[in-house]
Amino acid sequence: MSAIDSAEAAVPRTPSPDESPVAGQSMARLLRPHARSFAAVVVLQVIGAIAGLLPLLAVVELGRVLLSPGPADTGRVWAEVIVGAAGLLVRLAFTAASSGIGHLVDGQVQLTFRRHLAARLGRVPIGWLSRRRTGELAKVVGQDVSAVHPFIAHAPGELVSAFVVPLVSLVYLLSIDWRLTLITLIPVALAIAHVPLLMLPARAREQEEFDAAMGRIADSVVEFVQGIAVVKAFGGGERAHRAFRTAADDFVAVFSRWVRGMSLVAAGMQLALSPPFVLLVVLIGGTALISGGGLAPADLLPFLLLGLGLTAPVAALGHGFDDLQAARRAVGRIKEVSEVPPLPEPTAPAVPHGHRVEFQGVRFGYDDDREVLRGIDLALEPGTVTALVGPSGSGKSTLVRLLPRFFDPTGGSVRIGGVDLRDLPTRELYRMVSFVFQDVRLLRASVTDNIALAVPDAAPEDVVRAARQAGVHDRILALPRGYDTVIGEEAALSGGEAQRIALARALLADTPVLVLDEATSFADPQTEHAIRRALAAPAGDRTILVIAHRLETVADADTVVLLDDGVITDQGPPAELLARDGSFAAFWRSHRSAIGDPDSAPPGGKPR
Amino acid sequence: MIRILLRVVGREYARPMRRTIALMTATAIVEGLLYALLVPVLRALFGGSPADARPWLVAFGAAVAAYAVLRYFSDLSGMRVGTTMLRGMYHRLGDHLARLPIGWYDAARVGEVSVMAGRGLLQAMGVAAHLLAPFIAALVTPLTIVAVMLAFDWRMGLAALAAAPVVALTSACTARAMAATDAERHERDHQAGARVIEYLQAQPILRAGGRTAERFGLLDDALRQVQRASRRTALAALPGAIGLTLTVQAMFTALLVLGAYLALGGGIGAAEVLAILVLAARCADPLLSLADIGGKLRGARAEIDRLDAVLRTEPLPQPAEPREPRGHGLEFDAVTFRHGDRTVLSGLSLSVPEGRRVAVVGPSGAGKSTLLQLVARFYDVDEGAVRVGGTDVRAIGTEALMSRIAVVFQDVYLFAGTIEENVRLGRPGATDAEVRAAATAARLDEVVERLPGGWHADVGEGGALLSGGERQRVSIARALLKDAPIVLLDEVTSALDPINEAAVHQGIERLMAGRTVVMVAHRLRTVQRADHIAFLEGGRIVEEGDHAELLRRGGRYADFWNASLAPATRQ
Repeated sequence: MSAIDSAEAAVPRTPSPDESPVAGQSMARLLRPHARSFAAVVVLQVIGAIAGLLPLLAVVELGRVLLSPGPADTGRVWAEVIVGAAGLLVRLAFTAASSGIGHLVDGQVQLTFRRHLAARLGRVPIGWLSRRRTGELAKVVGQDVSAVHPFIAHAPGELVSAFVVPLVSLVYLLSIDWRLTLITLIPVALAIAHVPLLMLPARAREQEEFDAAMGRIADSVVEFVQGIAVVKAFGGGERAHRAFRTAADDFVAVFSRWVRGMSLVAAGMQLALSPPFVLLVVLIGGTALISGGGLAPADLLPFLLLGLGLTAPVAALGHGFDDLQAARRAVGRIKEVSEVPPLPEPTAPAVPHGHRVEFQGVRFGYDDDREVLRGIDLALEPGTVTALVGPSGSGKSTLVRLLPRFFDPTGGSVRIGGVDLRDLPTRELYRMVSFVFQDVRLLRASVTDNIALAVPDAAPEDVVRAARQAGVHDRILALPRGYDTVIGEEAALSGGEAQRIALARALLADTPVLVLDEATSFADPQTEHAIRRALAAPAGDRTILVIAHRLETVADADTVVLLDDGVITDQGPPAELLARDGSFAAFWRSHRSAIGDPDSAPPGGKPR
Repeated sequence: MIRILLRVVGREYARPMRRTIALMTATAIVEGLLYALLVPVLRALFGGSPADARPWLVAFGAAVAAYAVLRYFSDLSGMRVGTTMLRGMYHRLGDHLARLPIGWYDAARVGEVSVMAGRGLLQAMGVAAHLLAPFIAALVTPLTIVAVMLAFDWRMGLAALAAAPVVALTSACTARAMAATDAERHERDHQAGARVIEYLQAQPILRAGGRTAERFGLLDDALRQVQRASRRTALAALPGAIGLTLTVQAMFTALLVLGAYLALGGGIGAAEVLAILVLAARCADPLLSLADIGGKLRGARAEIDRLDAVLRTEPLPQPAEPREPRGHGLEFDAVTFRHGDRTVLSGLSLSVPEGRRVAVVGPSGAGKSTLLQLVARFYDVDEGAVRVGGTDVRAIGTEALMSRIAVVFQDVYLFAGTIEENVRLGRPGATDAEVRAAATAARLDEVVERLPGGWHADVGEGGALLSGGERQRVSIARALLKDAPIVLLDEVTSALDPINEAAVHQGIERLMAGRTVVMVAHRLRTVQRADHIAFLEGGRIVEEGDHAELLRRGGRYADFWNASLAPATRQ
């Protein structure tokens, strides 16, 4: 055990969440199928460890025979040798079996945990997901589950050798001579006496400083690395670089101080537990007892051989402890994720009539203190296109995200066909609503799989038709293996192309309600065109809600809704709104003058 | 292992490192030697003359004291070397990261490097401080004990020595087998991690398809692969662990048999045999811990290898004698640039006279952004040259080059801090009035008014608390404040809604006034007033001219223009 060792374990000092009985039960339920194997691991380990004591006992007995006066009993000598050798074999076989099974169980438990977490994350509200960093969640599923490894694979072995073996040894030694046993325990007592010194307030303060310094390093690294392009472009490289160096120097200083504060105590503890010191104590005690005639010389042997093992529990406290601590924190994070309440499914699902969409007095805020939507009343008629416009931060993105139920409104309700979204089963909802948002995620899978994601059993010709409609068919055919090309492996698509794939996805799903975010970071003319064509296609009675960024889209919409600071300030057909000269008209003029584009057609002026 | 560690941290640590290793070795030898004193002590005790044991016991005590002192100093030395190396390493990594080409930092790299520079380093440097001493002790102490045995009884000593080559051999074999499975496991973990991220990011879409975790085969396959790989790792480790245990136990058994045989034959005293068996037990424990220590060393080794790989990435070469560019015109001279095996730009020539605006247009993936990045030297060209004011950018020092360029990126990174701090980054020496003026010109003042805390509103890590358009305005204000003669704009307005676009446009107009400008744009409306338009496709310029000229020509640009204007009438 060294300071760095414990320092490492101390690094991500996130407070572990309260142990809730519900989560505890769910973890226990996950572990139950493995209970038998786990018990087998422990039992095999115990047998193996105790068998491992036999060779030492054989030496002890050999000593008794050899040191007894008179000629040695040859038969007994060989019998002891055989017992010793057999003990070693048993130990080898059982510990190997235990370790093998332990690692296999470990693999299975990890798989169970990961599947459980994945299933869990597949049911939490999308809004919850969107406010976390996916990297962190992936770390829970990956590294944190792996960190449980010592619990499952190594804990039984370590606990047995740290506690069962010393206990058996202690009983055996007591049966031989209680005085020498007590003397043998002196080093253990000395080591334990050091423990309070490790927990002085000064140590705790140093620990806190250490955590803080490590945190500063992490922050400065993130800034330094993530902002590197900005940093270089603006010549601020020195600044971020210096901040990183300062944080690093701080950390090292704190770290050295921490290590120095611990080093004497740690050294004392380590010395007390070291074999030379233990042997010295046993020999001094043994010599005194033998000189006084209170101990047979042969009885000294077991103390020399087994006495050292008595220090194991204390040593383990320092050593295996760090790993277990880290594992406990990991379990804490795993639990935290599995405790997130899933999106509630309705107990009595309702059946929507048609697909008229209504927002009724909808209020919503991400935090309690700031409402993003402040009472939205809006109806989207089947067969119409509604364009949502407004300044940034007005709540447009939030509003459209309520429809596929990324979040539930904090007040009022969103209804489809007269049914509150919360009374619709998730499957049913997504049969009615599809969406194309800015953050398009393609999977590392074939183009076909990507397009057919929401309709896994779609016919190939339907996939091709959707791709054609989205204007991406020709591009797909140009890929190395056409529709079978694995995206991200065999071919990389540009942002605009990815968006058109996403559009094809939505078109294939062919839902009666479509939600779009028109302008997107990578949109190129083809993509814009594809999106506009999709909007203009004979809609039948499809309901479309689009965050509009282009004048043409606004002009072509049936209804325009101007959102400002979470409320609707103007609403109606674009031509009518312009004629009325309200807030939309002002918005429109400022926009056009800013673009300085005299060619742009006035709204409603185009044949539709 | 040590060699790689030294290469990573630098040669200057070789001496303290060697001193530490020497101290640790000395400590381990002293430990082994002091056990030799057990033999005379036990001989006296078992021989029925305990009084004779006293002087030996005193010697034993003295040896333990010497051992304690040595151990303390070797631990201290390990700590000291560990912390100085840690500091040196942080500095070395920081310096190196600052000199790497920006092009090197892709999305995956950023995460990887963040972890590496934080915890990864600590773990790697931990080797010196906490794995080295046990490792040396586990090797050296048993060898010393064997030497002691040889001195007391050559037959038993030889029997113990026979185990040494077998232990060495099994360790080597295990290490090789494990290296392969460890690598596979790391790879599988990595793949599964990527799948989990994908799964999480695609949640809305997956749910729409009713694809829950069980029905999303891609993820489940990846998770099962991880399990299989971890099973293979466990199985690969087993022969090594069993082999080591078997060897050590065989040695102990051999000594037990041999000792019994010799003692019965009277060839050696009972006390000696028993003492040697006690020594053998002291030998076995450290050897058995080798497997455990080896595993931990391998873990640290992987971390060190990753550090090594980063440190060996070539930074952008700096000119020995930087030259000053004359003027601010830009010139691409037969530029070819490859990214991996893909040729992004091939033999591209384009010149931007000082004070003129050139727009670069073309389909996605044509290499438009790359063109801008080559000016700012995110990468170096493979062939040809990029010149600023007639001077090759590679001959201008990075600082000097950057001081002439203001870039507005497509995605804007803001540092955690206030809006004001982020704007000021453009020119750290600017007065408050200048900062405010730049912010007003970029219409950032509206944003500031709306935000709680105004100028002192925190923008969050990466600017997460601002919307895309708001971040964009900060970035433009930054560029305005910098007041550099060359302006590079990368699809600045494509992510904006009309209001933001309108606001940003005014800022951009001010930014471009009187400067040399290269802008990449999708919105053709924004490029029609450029002095010159270059249409880029497949890494080459296929058309050049001004807006009217290109429209008249009826080529690719005209197609693009028409596509973007085509009325989307419902059939």
